[in-house]
Amino acid sequence: MNFKKILIIYKKELLDLFRDRRTVITSLVLPIVLYPLLMIGFSSMMSRQEMKLEQQQMLIYLNDNILDETSIRIESELQNIENLQIMPKIDFYDETPLYELLKDKSIQAVVDLKDSLSSTGYQVLIAKIIYDETSERSSKTYRKISDKLFEIENELVGERLQEIKINEEILTAIELKKENIAPPAQMLGFALGKFLPYLLIILTISSAAVVSSDLVAGEKERKTLETILVSAARRNELVIGKYLTIITITIITVLLNLFSMYLSFHHIFSQYQTDAGGLQLPIGNFALILVLMIPLVTLFSALLLSISTYSRNIKEAQSYQMPVLFGGIMLSMVSFLPGFELSFGFALIPIVNFSLLIRNIMLGSFELSHLFIVVSSTIILDIIAIYISIRLFNCESVLFRTAEEKSLKFWGKDKKNVFTPQFGFLFFIVMLLALFYIGGKWQTENLINGLIRTELLIILLPTILILRISKSDIKKTLRLNQTNPLNFILIILLAFPILVLVGLLMQMINIIFPIPESYMESFNNLIQDITIWKSLFVIALLPGICEEVFFRGYIINVFRKQGIWKSIIITAVLFGIFHLDPFRMVPVTLLGIWMGYLLFKTNSILIPIFAHFANNSLALLIGRFADKMPYFEKILKDGEFPFWWGIPAILIFVFLLKIFAKINDKSCFNALELE
Amino acid sequence: MIEVKNLTKVFIQKNGEELYAVNNLSFTAERGEIVVLLGVNGAGKTTAMRMLSTVLQPFSGTASVEGFDIISNPQQVRSNLGFLSGDTGLYARLTAREVITYFGHLYDVEPSNIKIRIQEISNLLDMDDFLDKKVDFLSTGMRQKVSIARSIIHDPPVMIFDEPTAGLDILTAKNIVDFIHRCKNDGKCVLFSTHIMREAERIADKIVMIHEGKVLAEGTWQEFKQETGLNDLDDIFIHFVNRIKDEEIVNEF
Repeated sequence: MNFKKILIIYKKELLDLFRDRRTVITSLVLPIVLYPLLMIGFSSMMSRQEMKLEQQQMLIYLNDNILDETSIRIESELQNIENLQIMPKIDFYDETPLYELLKDKSIQAVVDLKDSLSSTGYQVLIAKIIYDETSERSSKTYRKISDKLFEIENELVGERLQEIKINEEILTAIELKKENIAPPAQMLGFALGKFLPYLLIILTISSAAVVSSDLVAGEKERKTLETILVSAARRNELVIGKYLTIITITIITVLLNLFSMYLSFHHIFSQYQTDAGGLQLPIGNFALILVLMIPLVTLFSALLLSISTYSRNIKEAQSYQMPVLFGGIMLSMVSFLPGFELSFGFALIPIVNFSLLIRNIMLGSFELSHLFIVVSSTIILDIIAIYISIRLFNCESVLFRTAEEKSLKFWGKDKKNVFTPQFGFLFFIVMLLALFYIGGKWQTENLINGLIRTELLIILLPTILILRISKSDIKKTLRLNQTNPLNFILIILLAFPILVLVGLLMQMINIIFPIPESYMESFNNLIQDITIWKSLFVIALLPGICEEVFFRGYIINVFRKQGIWKSIIITAVLFGIFHLDPFRMVPVTLLGIWMGYLLFKTNSILIPIFAHFANNSLALLIGRFADKMPYFEKILKDGEFPFWWGIPAILIFVFLLKIFAKINDKSCFNALELE
Repeated sequence: MIEVKNLTKVFIQKNGEELYAVNNLSFTAERGEIVVLLGVNGAGKTTAMRMLSTVLQPFSGTASVEGFDIISNPQQVRSNLGFLSGDTGLYARLTAREVITYFGHLYDVEPSNIKIRIQEISNLLDMDDFLDKKVDFLSTGMRQKVSIARSIIHDPPVMIFDEPTAGLDILTAKNIVDFIHRCKNDGKCVLFSTHIMREAERIADKIVMIHEGKVLAEGTWQEFKQETGLNDLDDIFIHFVNRIKDEEIVNEF
């Protein structure tokens, strides 16, 4: 590789981009203009709005059912509130018209005064304020009225105490004083830390997206790509030159963003300087964030460059970039969420880790070990992403991708063909939504009943219907074939090492991402509450049949054209998603791969059904009877397997798998591949 | 010179079938010679030329440009090659001079030489008036000249033209044809592809007719006419296409 040439490519790309209006606006002008406009505009609007609110007239209706000395006193006191008016009295049969008035905002509150006697004989006046919390004016009216009522109450109580000659001070046993120890700078950091990561990440991605889509997909669109490919520059030089360009522009964007943000904050706070007491913006934090953003910028740049290389034109690149942008938005929003603190597990999740780290930096409290994990894990991802983008640029089938012949028709040519990936995917999504909305509702009403209905009506029935409608040979599609009886015994034996391995995997996941205890409890309750036969039926047998028919009977056939292993893996991932449980996603997907393997190896759906049943029942039985078996109880006293169990489990698994493969003809996979 | 030996390119189509875009293609082009690759659209001309310019990798067979092998020495092949096609674009936001200079750097031309070369080419193609204007503001004819300048900035001994006149008006196309003749007179080896029979006749020293990736016939028009006894160029081409189809049918039996 020739660095001089990379530099030439880099310089030319920068020159080219700085002459592009789109890039200049999104990457340079926007950050400079955005913050002053946002902050200054926002704050002046806020104060003006507040002033306006202050001057707004408040109209209330006072329904005085007592008309005695006190209530008249209240009425006159309320009238003394600035800008508050009491509506003339009207005769109502009930309160409905008043609610209407409140709803259409012609009045801001209704005060209803009633009389009642306490056991001590003193009069207790009940004042009910009806207002609309969603309306700022109404809420403000409510606050004004309630403040005033408290004031009157204090006066009344004072008067009563005087009557019986008791000092008013007797009422004060504790005097509450509060002092917020967070210095103003930290308060500011707290506020900034919430939305700064979000803003920064969005702006980084969008800037890198604009630049990267122009650099490769743009060259394809303008037909200049071939001219540089036939030049004496090497492909790696071209791709690295372009890559450096994206990084440069994006870092300039981040820098401008932070700088502009700093300036506009500084400007605003200097105006409040006097009452905030020498408020200083932590400029060091801004600098640290800028440096930290570099690995994240490199990651996005490589990712978006790969997308751009794959796309045929800018428009296509932009639509492929959308998921990256959405993913970035979703993950970076974690900084808004309360209770999310940077931990070892979160430090490994890209974007989430930066979002939380930036928030902590703005708060002025972060751990160096976390910073180290965040940066080093991102650098590893960087290297992978850069490697992929260089490989893609060298891959001619990607660089010269031809037009897709198939349009995105769900049905393809044959209207009755439900075995296209598009239709299968659509069907899966519909099922997933039904599971979430309908199944979820059923299960909250009655767990066991709901589970049975979900399995039968949401999972099994639609699958059978869709196979009927397609008029396909159900026996053949589902692979309802007989199989060697030995397989059933092997599956039972295999369930043991699999249970241990899955358990160990869950334990490892638990170390990185602690599973909430309430979650585990609800799971255990499910197992304990019902009789063993019923739970075997609901948790093992039904899912075994219904889910296997759906996934290994239908979904896997949809992806058969992609090859055996691809169809197994895609189906397993969908199977993992279908369980709607982030903590079990990985183990369930692995089990899905196992079921898919069993299906194709034996060419009979009976085996995956039986394996699904065996695995679920074994987990259920052990969970239930662990405390009745002394040996298990000792080992499982914390509900955990010892880690050394993994070694014999793997050995037993491999041993049994070999026997299984021997029993089931080895040529089976090859024969299927030719199918 | 260009030597092509059994060059083959296979594309795997969406339905999984193999498509032989270029099938066992062999021919040579000497210095000072204009060789025309003649074939209908989709015959494999562009694919063959992309392999020669090392943008695509051959499936089997190979070729060499000025003695450098396209597989083992792609860098040298590209350095010795000027490539121009009818639909290549230019960087619209750069000026003509910036575009040509950029390619001069990419082709490893000495920075001091780039200026001199640009002046030479500009005199040759009459480009002085728009050399410092942005490409965006240039007419099609001017852009074509910038493209030519871009492809010859390093003074390559071999030129490849992939349908360079496609979509151009007569006057602009004439610029190109004149330029190709000039290349020949300068002793360059020229490979030119077209689907227009008349253009091939006018320009070619030698014609390589290709169809569905295979060579139909190789020679001069004169030889073709004598061989087939036909006079019309289109008829000759169709004659050769039919002949190869007959051969294929015979081979199947």
